[in-house]
Amino acid sequence: MNPPAPYSLRRRLVWLLTSAVAAIWLLAALAVYQRAHHEADEMLDAQLTQVADTLLAIVAGGEVEHFVKELHEHAHRYPVPIAFEVWLSKDGEARRLVASPGHGGFATGITAGFSEHRHLGAHWRLYAVQDDDAEYRVVVGEAHAAREGLAREMGLSLLLPATLALPLMALAVWWGVGRSLRPVDDVARQVGALDAQALAPLDESAPLPSEIAPLRAALNALIRRVTEAFENERRFTADAAHELRTPLAALKIQAQVALRAQAADGRQHALAQVIAGVDRMTHLVEQLLTLARVDPASQGSVPPPLDPAAIVTAVCAELLPQAQRQGQTLVVDAAPGCAVAVTAAWLQVAVRNLVDNALRYAGAGARIEVRLIRSGPACAISVADNGPGVAASSRSQLSARFVRGEIEGDGCGLGLSIVARIAALSRAQLELGDGLPRADGGHGLAATLRFDNASGPA
Amino acid sequence: MRILLVEDDRMLGDGLQAGLTQAGYAVDWLRDGEAAVAALGAESFAAVVLDLGLPKRDGLSVLQWLRGRHDATPVLILTARDQLEDKVRGLDLGADDYVLKPFDLDEISARLRALVRRAHGRPEPVLSLGDVELNPAARTVTRAGEAVELTAREFDLLHVLLENADRVLTRRTLEEQLYTWNDAVDSNALEVHVHHLRRKLGNDLIRTVRGVGYTASLRPPAA
Repeated sequence: MNPPAPYSLRRRLVWLLTSAVAAIWLLAALAVYQRAHHEADEMLDAQLTQVADTLLAIVAGGEVEHFVKELHEHAHRYPVPIAFEVWLSKDGEARRLVASPGHGGFATGITAGFSEHRHLGAHWRLYAVQDDDAEYRVVVGEAHAAREGLAREMGLSLLLPATLALPLMALAVWWGVGRSLRPVDDVARQVGALDAQALAPLDESAPLPSEIAPLRAALNALIRRVTEAFENERRFTADAAHELRTPLAALKIQAQVALRAQAADGRQHALAQVIAGVDRMTHLVEQLLTLARVDPASQGSVPPPLDPAAIVTAVCAELLPQAQRQGQTLVVDAAPGCAVAVTAAWLQVAVRNLVDNALRYAGAGARIEVRLIRSGPACAISVADNGPGVAASSRSQLSARFVRGEIEGDGCGLGLSIVARIAALSRAQLELGDGLPRADGGHGLAATLRFDNASGPA
Repeated sequence: MRILLVEDDRMLGDGLQAGLTQAGYAVDWLRDGEAAVAALGAESFAAVVLDLGLPKRDGLSVLQWLRGRHDATPVLILTARDQLEDKVRGLDLGADDYVLKPFDLDEISARLRALVRRAHGRPEPVLSLGDVELNPAARTVTRAGEAVELTAREFDLLHVLLENADRVLTRRTLEEQLYTWNDAVDSNALEVHVHHLRRKLGNDLIRTVRGVGYTASLRPPAA
């Protein structure tokens, strides 16, 4: 399949405007022609009656001979478009007295007034008149061709300048359209000159026509979004590399300390730190990979609804030994019966990160409650603890990448970023609020993953 | 030489403290910017090893605060950021040196020695007074060319005294320079170390300034 051939706006406008103007002009010429025809008819009819009346007056006045003589003298000098005949009726017998030269004579029995006749292979308009005692009768006629010629001439006189003006107008339109479209060329040139590595919005201070300004604005908005996403990714790569540097430094230093340690216990401590450091880097690398896998492209279409209860229970069961090692109480309340549209693997990752965060940061002996809450069609997973909590003011920063709370823990600062990303891709909200009450009156942290898109069980 | 280490990463801080202690420094380790400011306001250190990404108050802000009160304590910055502008900014704010993570323990010790040396306006790496010479890098002391065996504490005390030759150092200053917060300090430990140093290096080198402290000097005491 070929893409549709590109068309030129300029050519299209020139065609459109020129043919519209030509059509309008043609219609106007037609109307003028019609009007001229009508006017010419009236005028020439008037002329016919005038000529007929004059002739009648002449012949009735008895000056026929003189008239005929005059006529024959001048006939060749002034060809008159009007043909005429004069008839004399005497004693019930009509006789042609005189006729204009060279037309052969009209048919007999022409009625008084105007009439149409065929004569000499053409259409004629005739006018007949007679004096009061019906003695003299005058018939005058004129070929329609003469009348049409006049009207045609008037119509043509309008069309002729149009045929000359149209090409000029097309040229003017061509020029004007090209000139008006120059900002489009400018924008195209600016876009063409954009560097993919360093996208910068087009200069918005340059004036643009209001038809093209929205295009530039939309383009700039897109450039800003792309730049932001690009910058975000770049920052993430940089952050990830930097995050690896500190544990690497720790590994190297601890290994050097172990090599140089004189005392056995110092060496043992340093070596244990090296192993813990490797574990920590493993966790960081795994979290980074998880974050990379939670990609909108890997999701495809909207996943079918699933009941989160089994996943929540399974994740908690998996993490229970860790909680017990740390002397923590892990309570799970996840009754089946609600449905959320989320990829099962992602839900598992999200729940594990939430519970793992609570286990890491709530401290030894803390209580952690994992609940599946149903409210109407919506469904939420809440992980609350009675640990040190996080000040409301700094909660919003927690889901940024590589941000850890003020509390000490050996996390890498990616857990909530992962959950937030999964939430964003699953049309869910991650909310951080007050958790379980502590003995000192404060509250721990509660992280709630709220699925609004949950549909009830089918 | 007492050093303040400010590093929030537990594992790295633990390693640096152990490693720099092995290299002969007395290391106090703090894990956030606020605590660092409090410690620097109260006590003096031969040098500060400062991480940039710190909780509560970041490293650059601590540095700014320190220079803002005209404290010239040498500062070595540890950072995971290798962007040029980060380096320039740190140095412009008054850092004396810059080390990118991950780094080598020997490099850190060497840079610290150089910082301390430069802070005392001393171009040559070896300290000497009379016929006594102290090499901070090798941690060796000679007297008239003969090697002298010193304990770690004796070496550190002599180092501080020679670094501040001709100046009277109070007992408190000396103790601050020698002991970390974790060291249990006997009230007469300093006298014992001075006594041992005199025995090994001769009585003329270290003089007692009664009621004040000690000084290492070749010149006779000013009446």
